[in-house]
Amino acid sequence: MTPLFFESIPVTLPRPAIYRRLGYRKESTRISPGQRQEVEGYIADAVAMLQLKGSSLRLPIEVEGSALISLPEGNAFVSRKLARFLKDAREIILMGATAGTTIMEAIQADIGGRNVTRGVVLDATASEVVDAGLDWIMGYFRQSLRREGKTLLNSRFSSGYGDFALENQRLIHRLLQMDSFNVTITESCLLVPEKSVTAVTGIITSV
Amino acid sequence: MNKGRVKELLKKKILILDGATGTELQKRGMPAGVCPERWCTENPEVITAVQRGYREAGADMVYTCTFGGNRLKLSEYGITDVKEINRKLTVLSRQAVGTGVLVAGDIGPTGRFVEPFGDLPFEEAVAIFKEQVAGLVAGGVDLFVIETMMDIQEARAALLAIKETGDYFTIVTMTYEPDGRTLNGTDPVTALITLQSLGADAVGCNCSAGPEAMMEWIGAMKPYATVPLAAKPNAGIPRLVGKTTTFDMDARAFGAFSKPFAAVGVNFLGGCCGTTPDHIGALKRALEVTPPIPPRRKSLAALSSARGHVILDRDKPLFVIGERINPTGKKALQQELREGKTSLVRQMSREQEDQGADLLDVNVGVPGIDEPLAMKSLLRALAGTTGLPLVIDSPKVDTIEAALRLYPGRALLNSISGEREKMEKLLPLAARYGAMFILLPLLDGEIPETAVGRSRVVRDVYRAARRHGFTKEDIIVDGLVMTVAANPDAPIETLKTVSWCSRSFGCRTVLGVSNVSFGMPERKWLNAAFLTMAQAAGLTVAIVNPANLELTAMKKASDVFLGKDQGAAIYIESFRDGEKTEKKPAGGAPLTPSEQVNQAILAGNRDDIVGLIAGLLKSDAGLSAARIVEEFMIPAILKVGELYEQKTYFLPQLIASAEAMKKGLDHLEPLLRAAKSRGTSKGVILLATVQGDIHDIGKNIVALMLRNYGYEVIDLGKDVATKTVIEHMKKFKPDVVGLSALMTTTMIAMKDVMELARREGLKTPFILGGAVVTDAYATSLGAAYARDGVEAVRVLEKLLKNLMTSCHHKGK
Repeated sequence: MTPLFFESIPVTLPRPAIYRRLGYRKESTRISPGQRQEVEGYIADAVAMLQLKGSSLRLPIEVEGSALISLPEGNAFVSRKLARFLKDAREIILMGATAGTTIMEAIQADIGGRNVTRGVVLDATASEVVDAGLDWIMGYFRQSLRREGKTLLNSRFSSGYGDFALENQRLIHRLLQMDSFNVTITESCLLVPEKSVTAVTGIITSV
Repeated sequence: MNKGRVKELLKKKILILDGATGTELQKRGMPAGVCPERWCTENPEVITAVQRGYREAGADMVYTCTFGGNRLKLSEYGITDVKEINRKLTVLSRQAVGTGVLVAGDIGPTGRFVEPFGDLPFEEAVAIFKEQVAGLVAGGVDLFVIETMMDIQEARAALLAIKETGDYFTIVTMTYEPDGRTLNGTDPVTALITLQSLGADAVGCNCSAGPEAMMEWIGAMKPYATVPLAAKPNAGIPRLVGKTTTFDMDARAFGAFSKPFAAVGVNFLGGCCGTTPDHIGALKRALEVTPPIPPRRKSLAALSSARGHVILDRDKPLFVIGERINPTGKKALQQELREGKTSLVRQMSREQEDQGADLLDVNVGVPGIDEPLAMKSLLRALAGTTGLPLVIDSPKVDTIEAALRLYPGRALLNSISGEREKMEKLLPLAARYGAMFILLPLLDGEIPETAVGRSRVVRDVYRAARRHGFTKEDIIVDGLVMTVAANPDAPIETLKTVSWCSRSFGCRTVLGVSNVSFGMPERKWLNAAFLTMAQAAGLTVAIVNPANLELTAMKKASDVFLGKDQGAAIYIESFRDGEKTEKKPAGGAPLTPSEQVNQAILAGNRDDIVGLIAGLLKSDAGLSAARIVEEFMIPAILKVGELYEQKTYFLPQLIASAEAMKKGLDHLEPLLRAAKSRGTSKGVILLATVQGDIHDIGKNIVALMLRNYGYEVIDLGKDVATKTVIEHMKKFKPDVVGLSALMTTTMIAMKDVMELARREGLKTPFILGGAVVTDAYATSLGAAYARDGVEAVRVLEKLLKNLMTSCHHKGK
């Protein structure tokens, strides 16, 4: 059960999503050229600091009853909503990604008073890019699964959603060996650095 | 099988490749989830029937069923004898098609990403492919095909594995997403430049797209191809209907694309997922009498990274090599390289890219460091940061070799001179990895002073380079810039060298421009004048700092005069903004100093706010600090809040204004204190992100907003223990306590804090916020709720007003 590691995930910058996250609304928000230049400059700073890495693991599962998802080696998830999500799947992909520590250090320093405006832009950029990292991992699997006559479910599920308890993140973190690219987990099951995410999706046979 | 046979066939016709294997095997009973390689060895009659079907349909070539025949893939099914299974499957293919049809040893991805994009070390990837190649050679393949690659570095590893095994014709096809890039961001022309220079005998694309999109990619590659092009499209775009993947294009419709494919220059054409012998038959019939279009070029002056390329077209504007990633004279960069860090390098690359560099020079020459290791570390960092091709700049052979082997593109080597010993080592190295190189016209210990002397060295080095397969397209001659301070004739000799290369010898040139002014005052004018003269002499590439505005402006102007900037489009685009001045509306009165302060806060102008306030204090208006705050600053920040709530402003604007306000208030603080008008705050607010939660950005923004509105904020930070909050409540007796949490799992700690406070007899009101916290949740706990910083200010004012009213009533 060795995960697949991605040392440098090359996502396209999700600029519209970053602006949306910052509260930009096309129909109402007005930005001067100078302000736009400033925001774009901060986004560029973020891009230079991002070190988007990740890992993934393909595992067979058995959905037992209405809430038990059994994984190899005696591991399991218990969640009605996740079980429903994975009802057609016999395999899952666990995936995790991180924006790295450099950008998180900059965000903390900026938000702490150095340059709060830049801090919020770095924060939004990191959040959206790390999410795009998971999209990229799903894209990778979609492509490699095609030859097996399989595909992925269209969406993904993260611990903390519905009844899929955040505590499951501990197992996902361990299975994905996220420690190996410097992502740790706190006692309350939060990932550090903060801009790190995990998710689960299902593989379905498409032939 | 020698390469000659394939090349001869390609001169005569477009070679027809086979169609899908996987979907055909599934139709004939191969269950899902099995190892196709093993299943085929156990069911040889099925794979041979599929391949015979393709032969009979007219295929000139079939692929062995070894797509997943590498150690990593086979080990997933417990298969360890990699060579034997590859050998067996090759033998089966040969049995199926005989000798009249070519058998291509099929190599697919390992499923792991190769460094610098993944954790599979590059040399391990090469070794894995070599093992498979050995089995395919043992089985008697005629040629190789590396296919369905989404990682250019993995394709490079597989290609090197074949090249280092023997001289086999090798086709490499990448797989592109609908946006025309691989999942790793490589576009077809970039992949073509990298692969053909590394030694691929044909390049192309397969899978993931139907014929229409693939035709576009072949068309995009053809003008730059020095090798034949291959296409294996799917039978249309796969569609998921329920749980079934379907390919809609029948054989007739598929075959209808044959002629258009031939017209854009395809040299190998077959089918991928969803295609059948009928589809291949349709291609065969359509192309029977269609002559192939051979590659249009023998060589190409172009460089690439994993995600971009630069074609060094001599009719294009002067190309710029960013020179900043060089530790000479840069202490911070030296330190970073010694510590194995790369953040400064990534920042420099990003800045130079933004400033208009076309290529980035990378030099790691710091005394005492392991240069090959440092160079590899930089290449890894830059692979994820920039799409610009790199110039590998080192005098050390081992550093250059480490870089060229790992670099996931076609690099420019800086440099190879006429120094015999190094030339003998570096020319084969550059040839092996397909690099272009800068030719430095100097000999052992001697720099020819004249252009005539330099041209002699250029000819000598080029003669040696030709023996390794280089053409004039593969070299860029350095004109050797010497300072005018030491020798007044030196710049003229350099310009003559550039002119000779450009107009007589017929090759590209490069200059490190700023050397010309070394030791002179006001160097920028000399540099700029020299650059324009060199451009007029035919210079192709300049090594400069792209942040140097004089040089880049002169370069752009010269490009216009030399006809290299069509319609002066680049020049106009670059300087359009420069002509725009901050004009006041016609007839509008200039802003008063107080209005300027108000406007600075509205516009979030943190740079000027302090100066404007200082000016206002000194002005004749005689305004006190308190009046400035009350009459101009508070109304501005209130307006900002309004604009934010209306979504006219978004978060960065709100925060920039809040920061401008804070800077202004900090500047006025001593005056306000002296006047005692700010000695008492509007209220004391205790803020904390609850225990277990480390996400406190929202809470920090709230703190900034509240301080701007005149509240005293005691911020306890994040992951604050319940008892710590209570202790501080007892100690500071805040008017309101604000708690934040981002996660559903941590927001329950809010309840703990509130319950403990009540048990301790503390009746302070609470205000809650955070991504998952809702008004309903806060109300259920008996707390107020605020969505964001602006709302927090409003809710607090209301809470405090209620408190005062309630105290007033109690007082009565």
